Amino acid sequence: MTTDQPIISVRAVRKTYKLGRVRVPVLHGVDLDLAPRECVAILGASGSGKSTLLHLCGGLDRPDKPGANTPRPSITYRGRELTTMRGPALDRYRTRDVGFVFQFYHLLPELTVLENVTIGAMPGHGRLSWLKHKPGAIERAKALLDAFGLGHRLRHRSAELSGGERQRVAIARALVTEPPVLLADEPTGNLDRETGGTILDTIEGLRDSMGLSILLVTHDESVADRADRVVRLIDGRVVGGAGVDPPVAGGGGARREPAGVPSGKGPHP
Amino acid sequence: MYQALLTRRYLTSKVMPLLSMAAVLLSVATVLITWSVMGGFLEVLLGSGRKLIGDVAITWPNVGFKHADDLIDRLEDHPGIDRAAPVVETFGLIQLPDAQVREVFIKGIEPESFGAVTDLPASLWWRPIEEPTRRDTARLDPRLPENTAPDFMAWTLNNGLSMTRPDDRTGEPKPAAILGITVSGMNRRTEGGVYEPLAVIRPEASGDVAFEDVFMPRNGEIAITVLALDSGGRPIDSVTRSFPVANEFQSGIYDADSKTVLVPLEGLQKMLRMDEARRLVQRESFDPLDPASSAGELVTDPERVTTVLVRGAPGTDARAVQAIARDVYAEFAGAHPGEVPDALSVNIQTWEDLNATLIGAVKKETGLVLFVFGIVCFTTVFLVLSIFWSMVSEKTKDIGILRSLGASTAGIAWLWLRYGFAIGVVGTACGLVSGYLIVTNINAIHEWLGTTFGLVIWDARVYYFTDIPRVVEPWRALVVGIAGVMTCVVGAAIPALRAARMDPVKALRFE
Repeated sequence: MTTDQPIISVRAVRKTYKLGRVRVPVLHGVDLDLAPRECVAILGASGSGKSTLLHLCGGLDRPDKPGANTPRPSITYRGRELTTMRGPALDRYRTRDVGFVFQFYHLLPELTVLENVTIGAMPGHGRLSWLKHKPGAIERAKALLDAFGLGHRLRHRSAELSGGERQRVAIARALVTEPPVLLADEPTGNLDRETGGTILDTIEGLRDSMGLSILLVTHDESVADRADRVVRLIDGRVVGGAGVDPPVAGGGGARREPAGVPSGKGPHP
Repeated sequence: MYQALLTRRYLTSKVMPLLSMAAVLLSVATVLITWSVMGGFLEVLLGSGRKLIGDVAITWPNVGFKHADDLIDRLEDHPGIDRAAPVVETFGLIQLPDAQVREVFIKGIEPESFGAVTDLPASLWWRPIEEPTRRDTARLDPRLPENTAPDFMAWTLNNGLSMTRPDDRTGEPKPAAILGITVSGMNRRTEGGVYEPLAVIRPEASGDVAFEDVFMPRNGEIAITVLALDSGGRPIDSVTRSFPVANEFQSGIYDADSKTVLVPLEGLQKMLRMDEARRLVQRESFDPLDPASSAGELVTDPERVTTVLVRGAPGTDARAVQAIARDVYAEFAGAHPGEVPDALSVNIQTWEDLNATLIGAVKKETGLVLFVFGIVCFTTVFLVLSIFWSMVSEKTKDIGILRSLGASTAGIAWLWLRYGFAIGVVGTACGLVSGYLIVTNINAIHEWLGTTFGLVIWDARVYYFTDIPRVVEPWRALVVGIAGVMTCVVGAAIPALRAARMDPVKALRFE
């Protein structure tokens, strides 16, 4: 794959929500490309449709069906069309190909830090398959948490962690299956500036070391400024360029591991 | 695999699953206790039949049938039959020591054979005992050594076993009767489950009241009156005869204990004209003018009995004994054509057949009570459903997170179904253990309720069984257990479906 071919490509995507009898259009024919190892920030005000766009890219939601006067929407991942993918294929896509990070971390409060990370690798495995892959997943989770400075908190519950620590656990969970794409929804939105900056450093480091493609949703200009490219979304429309920029600075040709993170046994532990 | 991890964590970190488990536990324990007690009541009732009649009764009522000895020999020759006993059954009147006259069911029996077929020897109430009955905590039972001389109790027991009582003047054993424990009205059942002999009170002409110390097995006498029938079933006359009382029996069956009098077979046969008889059969060729011809010839009519009781060999089911009895009786009837009732007409019935109304009523009551409790417990499904609905709502965000991690809709549904199953298994196991412990200790618990709160649910004076009967059958526990687990799974199914169909985006935005 070259940088000219986007890893995720969005074309003519519309999305309308129904609130009772009222139809609320959120996205009005959005186009977007994300290149391999590129970090793209989607910048927009609250309600501009940026999280909706992220959910569509992550296969959590589906765009509106084409109307008589609207083109057929398309969201492709490495050339595969997501909008026509069936449930099990989409589930596999979310498990193996993308990792989500949310503003409010969304950790499971009953689980320990280590379990919160390893659970990211569990969907898609049956009992026997999991027995085979479990040691690798745990090793990978521990390595990620070590790399994020949380190696000493494996047995803690999320309630015992600070906001920054929780977000790093959430990032480790998103990356435990070594997906090529990280989808981050306001990852610093719930953190103070300093902690937020640390989280962004972590994300940038991962992009550089693991060759991740990152789609970062934010309403904060200063956060967006740290991305390779900024796509502004205003009232559900992309303002300015949405295509693939020239090769990303710092993004190496081969995928690299972060320091201290061992290479996984395969693409899907 | 995340389902196993989350089920384990949800089970141990939330109060709501404990509420569901408690609901299942109570339902399972309630149904198991009810079923065990009602089932136990039924089993005791059915078991009492064996105490009273053995397995099967072959009956030709009132008139009776001849050649019972032959039938008994044939029955006892069969490997499936242990013993058989001749019995004469009739209705009659009994005159009691306090001059009351009551209608009773009278059975003429041979003590040895009747005792072998039924459990009469074990049912004889007045006997020496060393330990008090469990309910008789005050040791008030007259049968205990400290209350009545053990020799006297041994004497009454021997009298009961032989159905005789030594004559007061001569000391010669006289044929004696055995009464159901409440027939005479001279025994009062206490709350301790023991019988207390009462005195006879007689008003005198002077206006005073005389107390007569009558203890039936010692000096009680009864007079019984029966209506004798001829072999054609026509009444001949009424016959009255006195019997001393040898002992009293307690079978646990109200009708038997309050209305049955046992007397020696031979005596009752004589009273009913069912004993062996000789009669003159007039010859057709009789010529009154010919001194060589006689008027007729003397023939012997064998004795008759109304019933033959049959006890099967150990391990033989009452229905199997009934089938054997039918076959043997058919052979017997074939050997005595015209002399005995034919095989199709004679009644060959088990205890359950004979008491179909009572046993059927108890069975129906058991079914009804189980149905009612089943309905009550069915509400557990809705309780579990509402608790799970609430838990799914509370865990909406978790569902969104799991979907974002790639969990499938089926996987989410299985998470909640599995969770319901786990709660069902734990709740049911606890319910079965609690139910078992309560059932096995129900009499002690009942006694404690009685002494602590004065609460008497099972009154021995009403039910006649000293203890609350209970039978914990493994298959019943299995059925209740499966139903308990299914209750939870069914209750969890709709919330599981709701969780599975949840829009992941809405779930993630849920506040």
